[in-house]
Amino acid sequence: MGSQQRDFAEFYRESCDDCLRTVVVSVGNRDTAQDLVDEAFARAFASWRTVSGHPAPAAWVVRTALNANISRWRRRRREVPVPDPGLLADPAAVEGAAAGLVEPRIMAALLGLPARQRQVVALRLFLDLDTGRTAEVLGIAPSTVKAHLARAVAALRDLIPIPHEEIPS
Amino acid sequence: MNDDDLLAMVRQSFTGLRSTTPVEKILRHGRTVKARRRLPVLTGALAGVAGAALAITIVLPGGRPPGPQPATSPTAELAAWTVTRQPDGTIKVTVRELRDPAGLQSLLRADGVPASVTLSGQENPSCRPYLADPGLQDKVVTPTMEFVRPPSGTPGPDPYSGLVLVLVIHPSALPRGVGLQFATGLSQSVTAGGVHNTQSTHLDLVYASPQCTGSAA
Repeated sequence: MGSQQRDFAEFYRESCDDCLRTVVVSVGNRDTAQDLVDEAFARAFASWRTVSGHPAPAAWVVRTALNANISRWRRRRREVPVPDPGLLADPAAVEGAAAGLVEPRIMAALLGLPARQRQVVALRLFLDLDTGRTAEVLGIAPSTVKAHLARAVAALRDLIPIPHEEIPS
Repeated sequence: MNDDDLLAMVRQSFTGLRSTTPVEKILRHGRTVKARRRLPVLTGALAGVAGAALAITIVLPGGRPPGPQPATSPTAELAAWTVTRQPDGTIKVTVRELRDPAGLQSLLRADGVPASVTLSGQENPSCRPYLADPGLQDKVVTPTMEFVRPPSGTPGPDPYSGLVLVLVIHPSALPRGVGLQFATGLSQSVTAGGVHNTQSTHLDLVYASPQCTGSAA
């Protein structure tokens, strides 16, 4: 394996899960997100010399995946991009019967947010992007990012049940 | 719990969600992408194959108990969906299950939206797709999801019972002679948690006509 491949493979192993989580929250469907992220990583490898010099290569991957999703939406036209929490959040997993899925109430709360708020939250949560970089990835103003994040956090606070032990007596 | 704790809890809940694609597969596909760029003559054909591989139907949960109705007026309600004319002139369609397509079609037409609503595979053959403006559909219909709280204010046993599809239709963005076609279909998907009934909703802009959308306006 050449040094470029080694570098890319290390980048992939370090960032693929968080990129997937970011895109899952943005598009609302695990299988769709996996396809989009795989395609974006393949494009990143094809242009690795350029992408590796990017200040935040994982953000490049996520942006490529989200752009591909928009292109797919325009190409297909007939599909309504509706999230499918049933495929993401498996109640059995929460009960410990299976591993690897997302807590259903939290997923439902995230999917209840407007799409842009979900994207802002996901970029902050999983890629730890600051306001400026998030604004670049999404092509919006930094002040808009701040407003979306504040609204999203307020909405999540309202939608996600606080664990009983943390409710003040 | 402060904001940081809340976000940390959300992040923690995703720990189990991991990519299932081995790096070797990404590298192989990356080489294909690179080769495709070097062979512009073949690009169209390869892109067609890649597009087909990505053509996944996106669905919403179906077969779940309907949540409470929005308290907006004036509202026409059926068990599976709600149509509400909003003060700004938009029309909000809240979809729980797309049963009774003829009923939804009648209500939309009564609200001045030239519409054809059918089950998937039973689209009205009189309807012709409107392809003149590829970006128009995004302006006419805004699809989103809404989480509607249960009446008691506490979550019920089904975590998705309050999650519904909402389509906001902007009639003012519809050019004269253009209408909407909705088609819905049911399918089942199998996950580790069992079989899920799912429902996909398809939208199209079509040329309005008395045969297709009930009016030519």
